[in-house]
Amino acid sequence: MKNTRTFGKYALVAGMSLLSLIPFYILLYLALNKPSRTLFNGLSLLPDFNFSNFLEAWATSKMGLATVNSLIITIGGAILIILAASSAGYAIARYSNKFHQSVFNLLLICMMIPAIIITVPLYTLMKSIGGINTHWAMILLMASNGIPFSVFLYAGFIKVLPREIEESAIIDGCTPFTSFWRVTFHFLRPVTAAVVILQGLAIWNNYGQAVFFLQGQDMRTIPLAVSMFFQQYGAQWNLMAAAAVIGLAPAVVAFLIFQKYFVKGITAGAVKG
Amino acid sequence: MRRKKLGLLLSGVMMLGLLAGCGGKNADSPNPSSSAGMAQETGPKETVKLKFFTGKVETVDLMNTLIQKFNSENPGIEVEQEYQKDASNVIKVKFASGDIPDITTVVEQDYIDQGKYLDLSNEPFWPRVLPAVKELSTDVKSGKQYQVATNVTMAGIFYNKKIFQELGLKEALTWNDFKANLQAVKDKKPDVTPLFIAGRESWTLGHLIEFLAHGIIKQDLGVKSSREAFINNESDKLKFDQENGPIDTFAKRLLELQEAGLMNKDALTATYDNQKEAFATGKAAMISQGMWVVADLLKISPDFQIDIGFSPYPSIQDGTKPVVLSADDSRYAITAESKHPEEAKKFLEFLLQPENLKTYSEFLKSPPAFTDVTADWGPLKDQANQALSSGVNIAFTDSPSGFSGDDAGRMVQELLAGQYSTSLDFAKAYKDAWDKAWKATHR
Amino acid sequence: MIILRKLWNNLHLFMALPAILLFGLFFIYPLAQGIGISLTDSNGMSAPRFIGLQNFVDFFHDARAKKDVYNTVFFAIGSAPLLNLFGFLYALILDRPFKGKGFVRAVVYLPAVISPLIMGYVWYFILQPDRGFLYHLLENLHLGTGGSDWLGNAHSALIVLVFINVWQFVGMTMIIYLAGLQSIPKELYEACEIDGAGYMKSLWYITIPMVVQSIKINVVTNIIGSLSVFEVIMALTDGGPGYSTESLSIYILRMLYGSFTGYSTAVAMVLFAMIIIPVFIFMRYINKKEFEM
Repeated sequence: MKNTRTFGKYALVAGMSLLSLIPFYILLYLALNKPSRTLFNGLSLLPDFNFSNFLEAWATSKMGLATVNSLIITIGGAILIILAASSAGYAIARYSNKFHQSVFNLLLICMMIPAIIITVPLYTLMKSIGGINTHWAMILLMASNGIPFSVFLYAGFIKVLPREIEESAIIDGCTPFTSFWRVTFHFLRPVTAAVVILQGLAIWNNYGQAVFFLQGQDMRTIPLAVSMFFQQYGAQWNLMAAAAVIGLAPAVVAFLIFQKYFVKGITAGAVKG
Repeated sequence: MRRKKLGLLLSGVMMLGLLAGCGGKNADSPNPSSSAGMAQETGPKETVKLKFFTGKVETVDLMNTLIQKFNSENPGIEVEQEYQKDASNVIKVKFASGDIPDITTVVEQDYIDQGKYLDLSNEPFWPRVLPAVKELSTDVKSGKQYQVATNVTMAGIFYNKKIFQELGLKEALTWNDFKANLQAVKDKKPDVTPLFIAGRESWTLGHLIEFLAHGIIKQDLGVKSSREAFINNESDKLKFDQENGPIDTFAKRLLELQEAGLMNKDALTATYDNQKEAFATGKAAMISQGMWVVADLLKISPDFQIDIGFSPYPSIQDGTKPVVLSADDSRYAITAESKHPEEAKKFLEFLLQPENLKTYSEFLKSPPAFTDVTADWGPLKDQANQALSSGVNIAFTDSPSGFSGDDAGRMVQELLAGQYSTSLDFAKAYKDAWDKAWKATHR
Repeated sequence: MIILRKLWNNLHLFMALPAILLFGLFFIYPLAQGIGISLTDSNGMSAPRFIGLQNFVDFFHDARAKKDVYNTVFFAIGSAPLLNLFGFLYALILDRPFKGKGFVRAVVYLPAVISPLIMGYVWYFILQPDRGFLYHLLENLHLGTGGSDWLGNAHSALIVLVFINVWQFVGMTMIIYLAGLQSIPKELYEACEIDGAGYMKSLWYITIPMVVQSIKINVVTNIIGSLSVFEVIMALTDGGPGYSTESLSIYILRMLYGSFTGYSTAVAMVLFAMIIIPVFIFMRYINKKEFEM
């Protein structure tokens, strides 16, 4: 009885995992097939293990440069979000006043406004600050996109953090400002991990704004490079799949590294707060 | 306490590193939007940066090579290419925000009307341009030329010669013959799709309207007055919503093919890639496409060359003639607000050099529009000439910028999906959409 | 000096400034301009004229917009409950102790890591009639492929889109529920067991009330996400056939491009209202107090 139950449980979670993995399998299957075997003909579910598709896709699409661009923007944006959102979250959670209250409500409401609405004014703004085709402006923009939800997470987390942790530091001569950076900030690691995963991925995958503001060929990020590749080499499925795999591999790896802290961070930041 | 300090230090260093990182990258990365700020740079000569904005994905690699050549021949000028999938739409955002390219492949009547392009009428290259192409490059309102096209492109029915031979079929010039051909393929070769439609890509369906439906208007009115009718929305001449008018007839014809099962079952979801593949591997007998497809077909199956046939579109209405698209392709315009018009003209002249036009034409497999260029542009030369003489030559349609070929194509998708109860309903809806878009920019 | 010292001691009162300045510059300022544009007949080229609420009046007579509202709402009403149901079930299953739990969680979350655009392309490989993966699978297993044109038919295409959305983001919903489940003190269940209550009872009386915060977050983010759906539709159906799977976001972008800048911004305002009204109603319904932090 117990054995059947255990078996049933494992069968269930195996089924769940498989369901999530099927598209990845198909992508790899295509990416590893020889060009002659584009379609799903025949019964064999094993690909040809033709790794040259990856080399060809890498070489033709400037993926290396795109990876560097994506890394700069993602890391820069994520750091900026962490610094700005954590300190805002701290101010809002610890020093409640009318200003902080309205900042928080404003951010909450703005979370629900579709970003598409600001396309034209935002473009004018980016143009006037000389931000088109630059890393720094894209970093600022991506950080701004991530601010509301991250402030929400940080504020929720800090609210349930006992006040004592920074009060002792204040007695030691710190101001509330320095005590945050010296003490409180280090207790925020789980929620920071959640922010890194959520916002990092959002920046990494951003297509809608990158397509407008990173137009130069040397400024392309990975989603732009992949979609460009799809348009240029549309008929070559194997190469397309290989390019897609190259494009999503870094995101998958980064996720696997950070995922350990992920549930913890979400638990602490969003659910309790 | 030590660990905490370390953490703080680390984040501080990371932040500095980040700032230094973007600052440094910023300085040496090409930043065309701030070319005005380059004046303080050392050295007597400042580099002029030109932005070339293109919507032609198939020429991106080739243009990069040409640009490299130009840049090395012209120190002091640096051209940078920018490609956008939705170029004709994105340029609107660019114009609205002042981020204006110097030279572009995107030319639209609305922008000509807005004075967005530089007048090229007095440039020295016009005597070299084919007269028919020059006429298509001329603005019907002002009589001036704001654009120049380097090539001619054609579109019609591509057919598989081998299949035609096997079944004893001939190129069809009337609708009934065309349908009979398709029926013969369907009856005798059940594995072959008679007419393969790439309906997921709405531009391919938009082309059907431009060539088949508008083809009637274009041949009735002739080049000049049909262009005027489209541009000025002269509805008494266009007759979009008339019963048995061009749109109504077109819709009826298309539905006839669908009902008789003469097109692919997945006509609504098949892509351009699927279409090319089906045709090049002999799984489709006929497709409607332009010369731009040939290079890709040969990439898929290099031996296919001898089997490609090309003919005009059959007439879809009694009393009209078959048509073939023969229009200006690869257009260039210089923007009126460009800060470096002289340099932009220099780049344009470079592109128009016979040697470079030859390279371009042979790469694109498309005939040049310049009389002093002899390019071995492709395997279909003779067939194309024959088609041009057996069908009325028509041009692309000047649609309102808010009603692109994509929009028209989406309406054809609706038609094929059975969302209009009669073909006349479709014609009326088409006219409404066209009028609405035309009014948005003419007020 | 004293002023500086005072400033330094009260610096915490300004700690929200960088965030709000950044957000103000890149979102609120353009938004304010956008609202202005929605009251004009701007076409992106000639000088806009103020036309009051005319764009909003037009919206209610726009057949295509009505269809897009239907599509968007269909997508949201299909997605949000299914996401929550499956996300909750997944969380219940993966909250139990077993070997490889962390691995399975990561795998289930993995689809959410990939951009919806690329995901759309992948599903297109799978679902294409006549040559997609599923077609060949059905063919090889002799299961019949007659009705395989899932994307060519408006209704089935919408259902497919809902399915893909649920598939991709169920892991996301699950993580939030998992977080909620893990914050429930074990003693509550022990007390419940002593009382002799069964699994279903403890689920109903303990688990669900204790994960209210998770439900809130999930429902709100799902409403926002699914009502502004864009990329996955663009990649999979391009809004077609015709306009039959076009969402409001796609319509907004297409109008923006198509010389209807003012109208497009007005439709975006309508979409904003469509998002914020259900969110507010839901928030009030679940808990009146908790929304105000």
